[in-house]
Amino acid sequence: MKSLNPKILVIVPAFNECGNIGRTVAEIRRHAPQAGILVIDDGSADETAQEACQAGAMVVSLPFNLGIGAAVQTGFQYAQRRGYDVAVQIDGDGQHDAAFLDQVTAPVLRLEADMVVGSRFLVKTGGFRSTFGRRMGIGFFVYLINALTGVKVSDPTSGYRAYNQRMIALFSGYYPHDFPEPEAIVVAQQAGARIVELPVVMRAREAGSSSIRYFKTLYYMAKVTLAILLHMIRQKN
Amino acid sequence: MNIHVVAVAVSVAIFLFVIELVRRRRLTFKYAVGWLMVSAGAIFFAVFYRLLFACAAFLGFELPSNFIFFALFCVFITLSLLLTVFLCQQNSRNDVMAQKIALLEFELKELKKKMNVE
Repeated sequence: MKSLNPKILVIVPAFNECGNIGRTVAEIRRHAPQAGILVIDDGSADETAQEACQAGAMVVSLPFNLGIGAAVQTGFQYAQRRGYDVAVQIDGDGQHDAAFLDQVTAPVLRLEADMVVGSRFLVKTGGFRSTFGRRMGIGFFVYLINALTGVKVSDPTSGYRAYNQRMIALFSGYYPHDFPEPEAIVVAQQAGARIVELPVVMRAREAGSSSIRYFKTLYYMAKVTLAILLHMIRQKN
Repeated sequence: MNIHVVAVAVSVAIFLFVIELVRRRRLTFKYAVGWLMVSAGAIFFAVFYRLLFACAAFLGFELPSNFIFFALFCVFITLSLLLTVFLCQQNSRNDVMAQKIALLEFELKELKKKMNVE
């Protein structure tokens, strides 16, 4: 372990998650009382920020909607400014079970991984595994990322992740913007990160609707594929 | 012959309009340069239209008008690409500023709270 009391920050991006965010924050507090909880309110029109604040989280409110990538990046920037040792990313919609927080952070704390991805597909039984159409899409990304980088991940769209200081610094400076999860894996791999995947159980959404709507799955796939391919040819500085 | 007068008049008008926009500070020099060069080129070819015809013939265009349309098409594609690059740059600067503002606002609130407590 790096230090006796590692500073852990849980980053929760939230856009119009009123009705979900309070419960999510309370659950994180229950499972990780020692961690700081930072909700990034991504220009929500509803009471997301107030609800998160009342539940006991720190809330950074973006002045307008920047999208999930920039919201999460704001969390990394905060973590870097305050010198956190570990950052954990959890979705604000209640899909991620905070009970897995310790497990997801463990490899980072043991200095065995730079980045940990929580995968719903490594669980033998139970939990929410998304619709058939989306599973097909996810399968495609599994193949694409493996072909391009050689990294084997089973759940590249999972937003349940843990990062060490090196990743926090990397992603503070550059983090993909639109649908960032699969591309972030490629970015991390190219920076030489050790990526570890662990099983987590996910749930179906409790309220509201996912930002990736069902019929938009194909569009999402095409866009992310293009983004990843463009990333591969980008000049490195 | 009238068409040439019109062509010269229009390109001169555009050229003067751009200069007027700079003068009124609606356009900065940086963005005016491209337009000034394009309209100067238009004036040049409107005056020396025989040169334009010769160019068209040399490049193999059957009609000089086709050449003009093609050239304009290229100019506008280039211009809109450059504008997209500019837009993109503004967009990412905007994002960076929004993130900075949000973090600063958070720190400000934190500081205020601390000061009230003490």
